[in-house]
Amino acid sequence: MAAPLVLVVLAAVTVRAALYRSSLAVFIAERVEVASPLNAWKRVVEGLALLDLGVSPYSGAIFHETPLIIYLFHFLIEYAELVFMITDVLTAVALYLAIQDFNKVVFKKQKLLIELDKYAPDVAELIQTPMEMHYIPLKVALFYLLNPYTVMSCVAKSTCAINNSVVAFFILATIKGSAFLSAVFLALATYQSLYPLTLFAPALLYLLQRQFIPIKLKSKSFWLYTMQYASLYLCSLVVIICLSFFLLNSWDFIPSVYGFILSVPDLTPNIGLFWYFFAEMFEHFSLFFVCVFQINVFFYTIPLAIKLKEHPVFFMFVQLAIISIFKSYPTVGDVALYMAFLPVWSHLYRFLRNIFILSCVLIFCSFLFPVLWHLWIYAGSANSNFYYAITLTFNIGQILLISDYFYAFLRREYYLTHGLHLTRQDGTEAMLVLK
Amino acid sequence: MAAAVPGATRAGAAAVLLLLGCCGPVLAGGLQDQAEQFFRSGHTNNWAVLVCTSRFWFNYRHVANTLSVYRSVKRLGIPDSHIVLMLADDMACNPRNPKPATVFSHKNMELNVYGDDVEVDYRSYEVTVENFLRVLTGRIPPSTPRSKRLLSDDRSNILIYMTGHGGNGFLKFQDSEEITNVELADAFEQMWQKRRYNELLFIIDTCQGASMYERFYSPNIMALASSQVGEDSLSHQPDLGIGVHLMDRYTFYVLEFLEEIHPASQTNMNDLFQVCPKSLCVSTPGHRTDLFQRDPQNVLITDFFGSVRKVEITTETVSLDQDVAGFESKFPEEELATEPLKYAEQLPVAQIIHQKPKQKDWHPPGGFILGLWALIIMVFFKTYGIKHMKHVF
Repeated sequence: MAAPLVLVVLAAVTVRAALYRSSLAVFIAERVEVASPLNAWKRVVEGLALLDLGVSPYSGAIFHETPLIIYLFHFLIEYAELVFMITDVLTAVALYLAIQDFNKVVFKKQKLLIELDKYAPDVAELIQTPMEMHYIPLKVALFYLLNPYTVMSCVAKSTCAINNSVVAFFILATIKGSAFLSAVFLALATYQSLYPLTLFAPALLYLLQRQFIPIKLKSKSFWLYTMQYASLYLCSLVVIICLSFFLLNSWDFIPSVYGFILSVPDLTPNIGLFWYFFAEMFEHFSLFFVCVFQINVFFYTIPLAIKLKEHPVFFMFVQLAIISIFKSYPTVGDVALYMAFLPVWSHLYRFLRNIFILSCVLIFCSFLFPVLWHLWIYAGSANSNFYYAITLTFNIGQILLISDYFYAFLRREYYLTHGLHLTRQDGTEAMLVLK
Repeated sequence: MAAAVPGATRAGAAAVLLLLGCCGPVLAGGLQDQAEQFFRSGHTNNWAVLVCTSRFWFNYRHVANTLSVYRSVKRLGIPDSHIVLMLADDMACNPRNPKPATVFSHKNMELNVYGDDVEVDYRSYEVTVENFLRVLTGRIPPSTPRSKRLLSDDRSNILIYMTGHGGNGFLKFQDSEEITNVELADAFEQMWQKRRYNELLFIIDTCQGASMYERFYSPNIMALASSQVGEDSLSHQPDLGIGVHLMDRYTFYVLEFLEEIHPASQTNMNDLFQVCPKSLCVSTPGHRTDLFQRDPQNVLITDFFGSVRKVEITTETVSLDQDVAGFESKFPEEELATEPLKYAEQLPVAQIIHQKPKQKDWHPPGGFILGLWALIIMVFFKTYGIKHMKHVF
């Protein structure tokens, strides 16, 4: 499997290198869908320039990157393009290895459940075979590397690529079973952008499953392991934040990075839901609605944990998608990360109800974003409502996509245990409904 | 006009020549006097900015005021290229004008100040505070034609005449905006800093006009106003045929005064200050000369209202030494040191050209690097076991 992966990597690197040298690079780098105030490359350069002039980069409202990024790019700023290409490749390789391991786990679990007769007799067509699972890791790497969103994100040199790679390493560490590494990478991911905090729950569930610790609230071993993992995570987070203090000898970065993410002061349009709402909001209510919107991101963790406790990796996927949709400054790079996982659930295809409409919606909206931006900003014949309409539609498409996959997953699980041909009490065919 | 000067002085020079033949030293003294007179004022060109700020038919008199001053100024020699005439409304072609294409400044339609040769530079809605200030300061968009520019230099004497409706500290433009006395004073200071005038005569004919010159602080400005603060300037006479007042009192009497002036007249400013006493004008005209360097006694009317070319013809050679004019240099030597920088010197070009060397780059502190790499190594070894240590060392 290494050879096709290498080929894919080469193709991806070529595409990116070609785009870097073309005139599109500048155009893409300025697009608001690709570069947000949190991860735009222009701001990184500005922050480093301020640092060279002896001013703290956090002193204005320009720079919202963490000190580790300052440290990284202080030495690598001339090789920025290479860094981002390598980051993308690392992410793809990490995802590849993670999904390879995950497939082995899935297959093992499936085999166990078949031997334990947990499956209904007529579900042979739903069982995943190694043949069809063989190419999934490659497809995942392909989906990530050659996704136009990822390519655009890389060409724009948005630090979203670095965030994605940290999350990918976290997923790899979790799936490999190393609690320590997983905690470290999760702490790094949370440190970079606040929202991966919600990935704590699926990672914990996965690691518990791997250690064969049953998830019962009264079980002592459950709480012991949870405490261990949580303390590893919190300690690494504290260590990283304290280390960041020593870079510039100030705590300025905390309000600049986390305060900025949470309080959403910058209302530049992006593909998210916050900007338009808060542009219209009266100041009196803005604190309340900021809290509501931010809680919305973290809110789905507990219910999903309860529903998906047997399937933590799918939970991780859904959680990643929720972060990408509801975070305060999303970009297409975030969307690309969870879309890379779609091949893992390609066996759900027969249960997806709206996949055609949703893919059309997503594709059309991606094309309409620059059109309506041009109409609004340059031609002046549209206004922000038009752009927000496309943003809304795009997010609705994403939400429906995720809920479609969610429904399909649960439906498949139900069919696996209850058989494909469901009948009601009176013998007629029954329909499965998500309640 | 201009020809009269060399004519008159030619006679004078001829007389001097005759006397020269008689007695040398006296002659030399006489020639020196004439040379003194030559350098008396220090300006080489004249400009006029004449502004009427009111519109609507019942403000006919303001347009007539401005056009009367325009007429006098043009008659005394200032050409149209050196006059910026701003009229806020068109009275001559106003539909309510019973005598179209005329603007009368005297009752019984005796004096038509409009005509074929009136060149209005800023007309109607172009007369705004912004345009006026731009004309004065010279900060004009590059597309502005020459006729709309005040292309004065530091040897220009400028006459600025403004009329309209005013109040304590402001003058109303077009019934929608005002210019304040502070703005005007600042504009004049900008002109001084940019060396856009040698001397400036500011005449204003509005209610409470004296308030407009209260705030001036630039040198070489003489100001006249038609009324003091708290007084209204009144209009002179209505014409029953046209139906509106034709002139304001102050400008009417100034116009009468100016009609007596010809380019060679030696009438000085003190006479202008006496124009329109309270008995005739009802308001008390005011003037301000504290910023002016010369004695108003020595300032000719034609220094501002006319464009009198100084042409003196003599066959004698006159040696021009420093004291030949008794002309005080504007800036006595001891003041030069404290003189504010000339415009070009206000930019620290030397500093800009010789940039300071680039500051030392920022480097991350050693403790941070140490801590970070120690952490990374710890994580590495925790994950992969201590046994790899022996491969490192």
